[in-house]
Amino acid sequence: MTNVLIVDDDDIFRAMLVEMVQREGYQVSTATDGNKALAAIEQSQPDLIITDILMPEKDGIELIMELAQRESGIPIIAVSGGRRSISLEFNLESAKLMGVRATLPKPFSREDLRRAIAEALA
Amino acid sequence: MADTTTTSDSSTHDITRLYAEVLQRAVFAKDALALEMALTEASDLGRDLIVLEIPLEEVGELHHEALVQLARANPDLPLQQVAARITAPLMEATMAYSLAFREQLERRATTLVNARLEQSRRLEAVGTLAAGIAHDFNNILGAILGFSELLEDELAPDSSGQRYLEYIQQSSFRARDLIARLLAFARDLADTPVPVEVVALVRDTLTLLRASLPVGAQVAFNSEIDEAWVLAEPSQIQQIVMNLCINAADAIGQAPGHIEVGLEWVQRLEDTAAETPGWVRLSVRDDGEGMTSEVRERIFDPFFTTKEPGKGSGLGLSVIHGLVGQLGGRIEIESAPGAGSRFIIELPRLAPPNATADDSGATHNEKLQ
Repeated sequence: MTNVLIVDDDDIFRAMLVEMVQREGYQVSTATDGNKALAAIEQSQPDLIITDILMPEKDGIELIMELAQRESGIPIIAVSGGRRSISLEFNLESAKLMGVRATLPKPFSREDLRRAIAEALA
Repeated sequence: MADTTTTSDSSTHDITRLYAEVLQRAVFAKDALALEMALTEASDLGRDLIVLEIPLEEVGELHHEALVQLARANPDLPLQQVAARITAPLMEATMAYSLAFREQLERRATTLVNARLEQSRRLEAVGTLAAGIAHDFNNILGAILGFSELLEDELAPDSSGQRYLEYIQQSSFRARDLIARLLAFARDLADTPVPVEVVALVRDTLTLLRASLPVGAQVAFNSEIDEAWVLAEPSQIQQIVMNLCINAADAIGQAPGHIEVGLEWVQRLEDTAAETPGWVRLSVRDDGEGMTSEVRERIFDPFFTTKEPGKGSGLGLSVIHGLVGQLGGRIEIESAPGAGSRFIIELPRLAPPNATADDSGATHNEKLQ
C-alpha cells in the first residue's frame, strides 16, 4: 500500500488533508513541521510527501532541500497558502530538481489533489 | 479637471470696479499720505487676486480695464499725472503679484506631492498586511472547502444538505478570488515583465470584455497609434483595462451610455531633454454618473467602494494604483458629478523590440459591438 506523509502545522487543514488522502485509498502518517517530518522519515520511508511551505521550526523549503541533499528520491508535493512561497523565494524549476513533482496552492479541490498525486507518483 | 473651481465673473468684475476707484483716488490724491493709502488699498486688492488664483494674464487685463475706466471717467486727465502717480507703483505691484503667485503654485505643488507620497505609503502598509493575511486566510479556506467536499460523500444526492454545501463552496470561491486580488494588490506577482505591445492587447481585451458588459454600454476603441510597447506583464495591462471598463459600465448603469478607450503617445519637455521615448497614454472615458471630489479623493483607498454591498470589494482601483506604480507609470482622474469620468494612465514607453516603428501611426476608430 502507498504510504503518504502529510506535513502541515495547521491542525484543521492537516485533518482535512488526511481524510482526503485516505479516501483516495492511501495510508497516511503525519508531522507538524520539517524536523518531525525528518524524524518520521527515518522511522519509515514514505512513498510520497505532501508538505506545507510556511511552517514554524524547519519549514517546507528547508525540508525539501535537506531531503535533496540526502538524495532521498521521495516524490514531493509542495502546498502553500501564498503565491510568494512557491513562486518567488522558491523557484519551481529549482524545486523540481529537488524532488518537488507538483505544487498545490491553497485552497484546492479534491480533483486538484488527485491530479497532483497522480503527477507525483507517475 | 472638469470640476476645478474657477473664479466667478462677478468677483473679478467687483475687483475691477474697486481697482478703478482706488486708481482714481491715487491719481487725484491731495497729498503723499492719501496717495500712499490708495496704493496700499490697491496692493490689498492684489492679495485678493492671489486668493482667487486669477492667472497673471487676466490680472494684466484687469489693470488695463481699470485704466480704461479711469480714462473714460476723466477724459481730460493728463497722461503724465497718471504715469507719475500710478504706473510705477502698479508695475511694482504686478511684479510682487507674479512672485507671490509663483510661490503659491509651488506651495500647492509641494502639498500635492506630499499627499501622493502619503497615499502610496498608506497603500504599501496595507499591501504588507494583505500578504500576511492572505496566507492564513488560504489555510482557513482550504479547510472549509476541503471538508465541504468531503461532506458531499456523506449526504444524499439532491438533499437540501447538498444544496447548502454548494452555497458554502460558492461563497468560499468568492473569498478565494478576493484573496487572489489582495495578493495581487500586495504586489506578490511572480511573473516577469516583458515588452508588451499594448494596442493589440487592449483590442483583444476589449473583445473579450464586451460580452460581460451591459448591452446598453457601447464600447469604442480609438487608437492614435499602430503599436506601442511597454515593459509589463500582459495580465497587468489586461487587468487595468478590464477593471477600468467594468467601473465605467457600473457608472453608466442600466441606461444606454458610452465607454471610450483611447491610446496615444505623449511626450513631455523633460523626455525630449533626456531623450527618453516618452509615455503611452491609455484613457478610459465614460458618460456615466461621474464622481464628487470626495469620492475622487478616496477612490484609490483599499476597500473604498461606492458599489452596493456584495457588488464590489473596493480593491479594484487600489490594485490598479499599485500596478501602475509598479510599472513606473502614473494615473489621473477627471470627473464631475453628472459629467462622467476619465481615467488616464501613462506608462513609460519602450522602444519597439525590432526598432522599426515610427511616430506617424494612423488613427484607428473601431466600434466593438
